Amino acid sequence: MPPEPGFDLSAYFPIFLYLAIILGFAGTTLILAHVVGPRRDTSVKLMPYESGMDPVGDARQRFDVKFYLLAIMFLVFDVELLFLYPWAVVAYREGGLPAFLSGPVFWGVLVFIALLLVAYVYDWRKGVFRWR
Amino acid sequence: MGTESLSRALVEFFPHLLPEGILVAIACVVFLGATTRAGRNLWYLLSLGALATGVLLIIAQGPPLSGSNSNRPETFASPVLFDNLTWFIRLLAFGGGLVFVLFSWSEVPEKQAADFLGCMLVTIAGLSMCGSANDLIGLFLSLEMISIPTYVLLYLPRYDEASQEASMKYFLLSIFSSAFLLFGFSYLYGLAGTTNLSGILHALDTTDVRDRPALASVVLIMVVAGLGFKITAAPFHFYAPDVYQGAPTVGAALLAFIPKAAGFVALLRVLGFVFPAAVSARAGIGMAFGDQTPILLCFLAAVTMFVGNLLALWQDNLKRLFAYSSIAHAGYMLIALAAAPLLRQAGRNEGADGIEALLYYLVAYGAMTVGAFAVISYLSTPERPIETVDDLAGLSRSHPGVALLMVLFLFSLIGIPLTAGFTGKFLIFFGALAVPGGERATLFPILAVLGMINAAIGAWYYLRLVAVMYLRTSVRPVEGKWCPAGLAAVGICALLTLGLSLPPGADWLVQAARKASGATTAAAPK
Repeated sequence: MPPEPGFDLSAYFPIFLYLAIILGFAGTTLILAHVVGPRRDTSVKLMPYESGMDPVGDARQRFDVKFYLLAIMFLVFDVELLFLYPWAVVAYREGGLPAFLSGPVFWGVLVFIALLLVAYVYDWRKGVFRWR
Repeated sequence: MGTESLSRALVEFFPHLLPEGILVAIACVVFLGATTRAGRNLWYLLSLGALATGVLLIIAQGPPLSGSNSNRPETFASPVLFDNLTWFIRLLAFGGGLVFVLFSWSEVPEKQAADFLGCMLVTIAGLSMCGSANDLIGLFLSLEMISIPTYVLLYLPRYDEASQEASMKYFLLSIFSSAFLLFGFSYLYGLAGTTNLSGILHALDTTDVRDRPALASVVLIMVVAGLGFKITAAPFHFYAPDVYQGAPTVGAALLAFIPKAAGFVALLRVLGFVFPAAVSARAGIGMAFGDQTPILLCFLAAVTMFVGNLLALWQDNLKRLFAYSSIAHAGYMLIALAAAPLLRQAGRNEGADGIEALLYYLVAYGAMTVGAFAVISYLSTPERPIETVDDLAGLSRSHPGVALLMVLFLFSLIGIPLTAGFTGKFLIFFGALAVPGGERATLFPILAVLGMINAAIGAWYYLRLVAVMYLRTSVRPVEGKWCPAGLAAVGICALLTLGLSLPPGADWLVQAARKASGATTAAAPK
């Protein structure tokens, strides 16, 4: 296949240069730290998280499923906002949506919210928010 | 044609989706109803009403006249397409949905009945949408509409370890296969520059085969792999036995039919086996990704049949046995798909076209497999579940009528004359035998003979069930329960299995399948 018109390899030269510098820098730092750096191991230094909390007990313990349910509920509304923002910004701007589309899109958004409402009511009635 | 009228096509399809809309709305009502104390009968009647309304709407709308929407530029903008295949699949989805609702009436425990029903309605709407998808994104979403509720369906009615294993296995492997499918779709978008299926097929068809990048075969392999999971084609079938075994009976029946139908429809659409009227198939159907497609499908079909039938011989668990049987039947349907391009190229007017045979077999397979599962579900009680082959012993004494119906379904699965299974196998095998000579002259007759050998192998394990039911007696006879809805589901499946095998029913179905395959609109120009 012939190269696309206007394709010029030399235009990408800075990127290759950049790549070479990054790789060189990363490699040099690793080697230098390995060769030059002093190494004195203390018991504190050998902990998994040197400056964090002291590890207590096993990390693999069970969490109550209610945490996950709430987290999922939160995500749903988070994503809902993500969808609503572009619509709110674009729909009523000059030169945004064509006039004949604004009606259907409005109803589409309403259906979307209604579906989420159904899910919310379902969760609520099933007792997801009841923190027994 | 201005851009405005093209974008209007984005909006104008909404009224056409009324049946699916009603179904999803009723599913929402049922989900909300699941939180109240109302009994299941209300929700089941409501969903039966919605499905029946859908069937009536679809029948009233009728199949679109051929050529009525040909060459409309809107086809390249609209995310949905209403052609004869759409009509066929919608009717299949809603009709099948009616049977599944009757089937599950008394299977699911009272507490989960409404949730189960809601998930099932969404699945049925997904299959129906899959038939009308004209866009990669729409197609993927409708396939997910089938998959996601299925994860819930598999886990809802039972809380034992087998059920957990089944739903987890299906969930993980299903998202894995979706990833393959999306990978293929993204390359497809890269090839054609549009997600519109008509646009993609048009772009691929107008490019000369030699200029087509090798990427097309990557797309072909990825799409066949992703959809092969849904139709349980051979290297992607591993989940089926374990999942069917752990699933509730109605869940296993649903898995055996709905994802398989959706997978085959998606294959027909994406690989260009059924062209939209606006696109002319210059290279012939099914050749959009190069003429290697039939070869790939041939090998897939042969391996799938052998794996399904040979492994089914070793099974003692009924659901595992039917899982392998459904794998084997996917293999038979793949023969029809593989033979379709060359048959259409030959342009024969008599005999069965490949796609026609595939669609016929899909309906026949649905009737007999769902029927067999419905019998198992009808006979099972919590005190005496029907799990293994031996549990069926002495059925001819305790339930002579039901045993006779089970024999009908098993004979149909074997392919004994006067059943829909026979007519379907006849159409598929003689279609493959009739593929005209050429460079691949020997491939398809060999495939047809392999298919017949497999049908003979299959007869062994189906007849084993018949023998157990009629020749052995049980220490503890099958109890069964009186459940009119479950019996109605068995009855409908039996009627279809018998009625579709003989001329009036068979002719009607073959005609509908022929229209859906688009054989009349896209006669092969050579």
